[in-house]
Amino acid sequence: MSLSPEARAERRSARFIALWTGFVVLAIYTPILCGFVASVNKGRYFRFPLAKTSMEWWQKTFDSIEIGMLVRTSLAMAGLVTVIAVVIAFFGALAYARYDWKGRRLYQKLVLLPIFFPQPVLGLALLLWFNALGMQMSWQTAVFAHLVWIVPVVTLVMAIQMYSFDAALEEAAFDLGASRLQVLREVTLPILWPGIWSGALFAFLLSWGNFPLSLYTTGPDTSVPEWLYAKMVAGYTPMVPALGSMATIAAAAVLLGMGLLARALRKRPAQ
Amino acid sequence: MNMQTKPVTDPSAAATRASILTLTNLVKTFGTYMAVDGIDLAVADGEFLTIVGPSGCGKTTLLRMLAGLELPTSGEIALRGQVINDLPPNRRPTCLVFQSLALFPHRSVGENIAFPMKMKGIAPEKRRARVEELMALMRLPAHYVDRNVMRCSGGERQRVALARAFAYDPEILFFDEPLSALDYKLRKELEKELKDIHKETGKTFIYITHSLEEAMVMSDRIAVMRSGRMLQVGTPEEIYTRPQSRFVAEFMGEVNVFPVRRAGDGMFDGTRIPGRFQVAGDPAAEGFIIVRPEAMRLVAPGETVENRIEARLYNSYSLGSRMQFRLNVGEDHLIVEQLRAGGPMPDLDREVSIGWDSRDAIFVEA
Repeated sequence: MSLSPEARAERRSARFIALWTGFVVLAIYTPILCGFVASVNKGRYFRFPLAKTSMEWWQKTFDSIEIGMLVRTSLAMAGLVTVIAVVIAFFGALAYARYDWKGRRLYQKLVLLPIFFPQPVLGLALLLWFNALGMQMSWQTAVFAHLVWIVPVVTLVMAIQMYSFDAALEEAAFDLGASRLQVLREVTLPILWPGIWSGALFAFLLSWGNFPLSLYTTGPDTSVPEWLYAKMVAGYTPMVPALGSMATIAAAAVLLGMGLLARALRKRPAQ
Repeated sequence: MNMQTKPVTDPSAAATRASILTLTNLVKTFGTYMAVDGIDLAVADGEFLTIVGPSGCGKTTLLRMLAGLELPTSGEIALRGQVINDLPPNRRPTCLVFQSLALFPHRSVGENIAFPMKMKGIAPEKRRARVEELMALMRLPAHYVDRNVMRCSGGERQRVALARAFAYDPEILFFDEPLSALDYKLRKELEKELKDIHKETGKTFIYITHSLEEAMVMSDRIAVMRSGRMLQVGTPEEIYTRPQSRFVAEFMGEVNVFPVRRAGDGMFDGTRIPGRFQVAGDPAAEGFIIVRPEAMRLVAPGETVENRIEARLYNSYSLGSRMQFRLNVGEDHLIVEQLRAGGPMPDLDREVSIGWDSRDAIFVEA
């Protein structure tokens, strides 16, 4: 081989990048894969190597009325949290990324503080407060609890993009004959759409996967993470990893679908 | 909708034409800060007016008020006699080309240009035809219509922004230093192009810049602003040859300014630079004499000139076709510019005499 030293160095770094990427992917996906393997175990308890595989537990999970209710509760919570969090965070982020007002920096800090508060303590505090107000715990109170923690995160995610938004674009649209509503529809929203979208995604996933806040505030209702935890502590069945695997596959499918949709929209002919 | 091509009139007649925009004692304050401090101005229909001034002089605030993006604190903005102080920008027949251009990054070149027509509810076929027409006017290649606007070069973006402004079909176009981010060569080219477009369309242009050089190339009239006030308004020729204050004179580029006091015989004594000087006109008792570097020359020891200063030649700089000399007089210095002569260069660090004719000197009050 007659490679120059530069080409050899380049090849070496390319190989290293490939190796590192492979390692990271492996480290992230091995546990998920393990969960999948555990879910297709025929027996009740997980042993490696598997004696026999079957989709029996998947079928049971699918047919279970209880799990259907759990998923519906969790979806309702995550959906409601997403809608409310996106609205509050959108205007909040807009207010502190775009306007200079008295108390802006204080608001910025105040809004971020709940993120650093340990979630189990926050959950307990909210429970005590709801009790003091004489409220009945249900998945709706849990939605409120989730919002306390999720709105700051979503605000942060959205503000990052809004900081780079040139306010002159809105002024230009307004100057070119657009009404306030048209400015929002034609300029502000399309440009901020990626940030709103990622904020919504964060809100949904953080609510869907939240355990510590739900534990204290759902009352008699049960969310998916609560059920998974309870079953792991006592009464394990392979339905636990089966449900986990299903959720992962569903999330991947949704992301893929959204990606394809976005691509199709972008390729739409101009004008 | 069509671009009216008015007959091109003599720029000097601009001031005498009917005025399209009249400002009366216009004031804008931010808290206690006086951004625009009582401006009176009449802009003629079809005129190319440039407002120049250093950064922070209030020119951008003034322009934003004219476009409707800021509300005046007091005073009046009248368009063809109609007060438009409170009219929002989307209902004013004016359009602003922003310093950042503010092109919509999520839209193609064609969509950007069509934007104001879409807002007006003009049919898509009509929009497309007009976009093509405007792109041709701005010398943009027709196949750019579907290109993402962020993939255009700096000069192309300028043209897209201008085409978009024309698509609004405004009576007056405002420009907020749109050329400032471009490199020198392209800027020079676009300055001339803008003047050509002004000529072809016959619209009223109001342009702001901090560069008087830019103003000189394009404008029918120049208004010089400082600390929220108009110092002088006139044709480029007037501003250049008859500045009414030291600030305007110095803003025009390198000039020699030195303080003088009237002596008994009608001559002036230099108060910092020794010498006796003459100046045309009817000057006050105390003020400054301003002489452009190109009006001064190195003179031979025996030669008689109307005004003369003895100085020490400090250094020389080549400006291509001309030579510039820096001369020290005490703690002050003077600048002299001459055409590059074939002869030998004068030696540095030698005493020399410089002179000028009295009619080339300008006197301004202190």
